[in-house]
Amino acid sequence: MENIDINQLLSIAVFGAAVGLILIGLYAVLIKKHLIKIVIGLSIIDAGIHLLFIAIGYINNGTSPIFSEKGISLVNEGVKMVDPVPQALVLTAIVIGFGVTAVALSLVIRLYRHHQTARIDQIKTLKW
Amino acid sequence: MVVSPVHFIAVPLLAAFLMPILAKVNKNLLRIIPGIVLTYLGYVSVVLMNRVATEGTIIEVLAGWSAPWGINLVYTPFTGFLATLMIAMSFLIWLYSFKFKQVDNQPALKYFILQMMLTTGSVGLVLTGDIFNFFVFMEIIALSSYALTAFYRDRNGAEAAFKYLLIGAFSSTLILLGIVLLYSQVGTLNMAEIAVRMHDVPTPMKVSILILFLVGIGIEAEMFPLNGWAPDAYSQAPSPVGVAFAALVVKAGVYGLVRIVYTLFDLDGTGSFLVVMGGITLVVAEVTALRQTSLKRMLAYSSIGQMGFVLIAFGIGTHEAVFGAIFLMFNHAIIKGLLFMSGSYLVYNTPNKEIKYLSGYGMKMPLISLFFSLGALAIVGLPPFAGFWSKLYILLAAADSALYGLIALILAVSIIEIVYYFRVVGRLYFGKAAEGSIMQKPTVGGVIAMSILAIAILVVGIYPDIITGYIDNAASAILDTDTYIKNVLGAVNEITPVENIIQ
Repeated sequence: MENIDINQLLSIAVFGAAVGLILIGLYAVLIKKHLIKIVIGLSIIDAGIHLLFIAIGYINNGTSPIFSEKGISLVNEGVKMVDPVPQALVLTAIVIGFGVTAVALSLVIRLYRHHQTARIDQIKTLKW
Repeated sequence: MVVSPVHFIAVPLLAAFLMPILAKVNKNLLRIIPGIVLTYLGYVSVVLMNRVATEGTIIEVLAGWSAPWGINLVYTPFTGFLATLMIAMSFLIWLYSFKFKQVDNQPALKYFILQMMLTTGSVGLVLTGDIFNFFVFMEIIALSSYALTAFYRDRNGAEAAFKYLLIGAFSSTLILLGIVLLYSQVGTLNMAEIAVRMHDVPTPMKVSILILFLVGIGIEAEMFPLNGWAPDAYSQAPSPVGVAFAALVVKAGVYGLVRIVYTLFDLDGTGSFLVVMGGITLVVAEVTALRQTSLKRMLAYSSIGQMGFVLIAFGIGTHEAVFGAIFLMFNHAIIKGLLFMSGSYLVYNTPNKEIKYLSGYGMKMPLISLFFSLGALAIVGLPPFAGFWSKLYILLAAADSALYGLIALILAVSIIEIVYYFRVVGRLYFGKAAEGSIMQKPTVGGVIAMSILAIAILVVGIYPDIITGYIDNAASAILDTDTYIKNVLGAVNEITPVENIIQ
């Protein structure tokens, strides 16, 4: 058992957490009947995907991809930089997710005012 | 002034966010600005279409970072054709909705801002050469569509919008997951470079990524069984928004599917998959349309059916079929635009937008009824109108590929289509008029927009040659992946990014 690398364990944990978050979110979206819980589920799926994306760009013992004197000296010593592209993309994706959640919550408020309930199985003016 | 593809994104986005400020200066500005912006973009597209016809593909490098590193816009004959079509349709929608909410400027301001965002997103999605930008533009379209669907407080807009949002958020999740997996495999986001490196990706991975993309984008493209949002969104949104969905959103979705399938992936069997899914979409949507009692829902299902037809043609994949598919996308935009514009005046005051109240409207609203009938005749593909040619070309392409079962299917579905459209037209002209129905007088802008569309349908129907040259170039452009890659990555040598870092 002494061969197990702590980094490997960590990466399994991170990827596992990402997949776990996506599954929890899917469960909430598909099973839960309360509109707010569904919106929370959507955000959890997003979080899982963001974690997955960051994990893919990570390099074990890598340094942060900042173009500074310290960063350059570290790279000259042979330390690798982690991939900055996924981090930039995740920032964008977080902003988009924020926008979607805001719109979703405002729609939930509108639905609640219109139907006096936030349970999806009691709102069926249109065919679902 | 130097025109460039960037203007398609920068100008409407800037205008959208300046409009709240300018509307405070003069409240008429919020109605006039979109028209000015879209007129300018129309000029840009004409200039660029001429340039692309003589000099070939235009690559616009953003912020000095060239192709594999930075974001680029790719203006090929195909993307240019779609962008021009979208700008033209946006302009007509603006004309149609110029007096929208005339008494109350606050909702009108929101409406015009969201329409500008919708245009930005659709045109940007078509022009971008970067897969993550593709996702961002898809989200811009989605967010503005949700807001526009929920526009009316008194209708069931919020419910339709929430339904759309659930499906849409799920779709964007799948696309994002697809992009994550794709990036982990090829290490790049540039579409041309992905296409180059795709050959080294193991097949199971390729198939998984393709499925994620197909399901994700299929939702925007109204592919069966992912189109549950469409009928509700079309019927609950304000009527100009229905036109925008048919002419911009769905077109962008279909473009996304085609770009992913044709350029990014080189898998066998995707074509047959598209044919099968398109066939199912076509049959299910047209049969459902037959059962609809609400005019707008009927038009929405008809729209889904037409998109199934487009997918069939793209799935066949020969040059003639792709030609027919692009022709049908063009025709669907102008004809369904006319149908939605005229149809929503017909049902303006009827309860639940039901067809049965339309009896005898042919005499009461002669012009609008004429436009609607013209659109109905054109979309089922009767000879002197535009819809005839696209259907003919797709059928010929299917015959060339010896897909006789498919031809039988398309013709059978056409009969269903004729039945449900002529049911409405028959009721308009031969039904007994009910008492006391209130007619809505169309606005001047609306009549002009509808006349332009009707004239376009007639002109393209009688002289298809005026448009076939552009469509032929477009079909060659989407099929020729090697030239696309060469054009995009060839731009690497022109500007070296290192120099730009030092600057």
